Amino acid sequence: RMKPVEGRGCLLKEVHLNVTDLGLGYRTKEELIFRYCSGPCSDAETNYDKILNNLTHSKKLVKDTPSRTCCRPITFDDDLSFLDDNNEDYHILRKHSARKCGCV
Amino acid sequence: PVVTRENNCLNAAKACNLNDTCKKYRSAYISPCTSRVSTAEVCNKRKCHKALRQFFDKVPPKHSYGMLFCSCPAGDQSACSERRRQTIVPVCSYEDREKPNCLSLQTSCKTNYICRSRLADFFANCQSEPRSLSGCLKENYADCLLSYSGLIGTVMTPNYLRSPKISVVPYCDCSSSGNGKEECDKFTEFFTDNSCLRNAIQAFGNGTDVGVWQPMPPV
Repeated sequence: RMKPVEGRGCLLKEVHLNVTDLGLGYRTKEELIFRYCSGPCSDAETNYDKILNNLTHSKKLVKDTPSRTCCRPITFDDDLSFLDDNNEDYHILRKHSARKCGCV
Repeated sequence: PVVTRENNCLNAAKACNLNDTCKKYRSAYISPCTSRVSTAEVCNKRKCHKALRQFFDKVPPKHSYGMLFCSCPAGDQSACSERRRQTIVPVCSYEDREKPNCLSLQTSCKTNYICRSRLADFFANCQSEPRSLSGCLKENYADCLLSYSGLIGTVMTPNYLRSPKISVVPYCDCSSSGNGKEECDKFTEFFTDNSCLRNAIQAFGNGTDVGVWQPMPPV
């Protein structure tokens, strides 16, 4: 597995939301802190990424547009649980929020 | 929908999920308490109890008591009091296929050293005294609430009854007590009709005895 690189621009950010804002179909009035990874990864690029960039521009890769370095979660936050509006069912969200970011 | 009133139990749940420690230990007990292990059993009760004890051990009382002792408007079946009743996931941690007699439940509690000592603490710290202003013999609400919450995760796990006034009881009753009926009734009344415990819960819920704990966040 490739080790993620610490891109300087790729940062962990957070926003305070209602669980319903997540659009996952849950009915509850509970809330959460959603943490996500955002920012440029240009300073963490390898020769591999530079080559892909050049090949895309010189149209040597006919149909493909392979992904470049992305700012993504490399560890996820703890699980989140909440009670449904029916006051009976609990739900647990796993791998829903980032804890650590990296350019991968 | 119903008239929107301040739901303190919902506010406490929100505050818990915004705090990393509370959020973590809350999910850590919700998970075993809601995972079906077989067609016969709704959950692994032993794991659920253990995770509940951890929750009350590790999470600051501001958050754990906030959910367990939240105050709800008087009257049954409000969204608030039902949420408070669901705090410990009663379907797993509380209910059982059969309701034992309270004295036999007490006997089985005494065979476990955690349960035995926590029940003794509860009887010592939540003893009523009608002549004292607080309603308690030991005028210390914090100690009473601590020993009450300490019972959660033992075979004596208590929960709120669906009744208009605050009343709690472990999952047992006094049917088939034989000549132990009087002793059994005394035992259950220590839970269901205990003015010291009731005052302590109300004082926490209303924030009137707040000095003992860390300051409550404005809700």
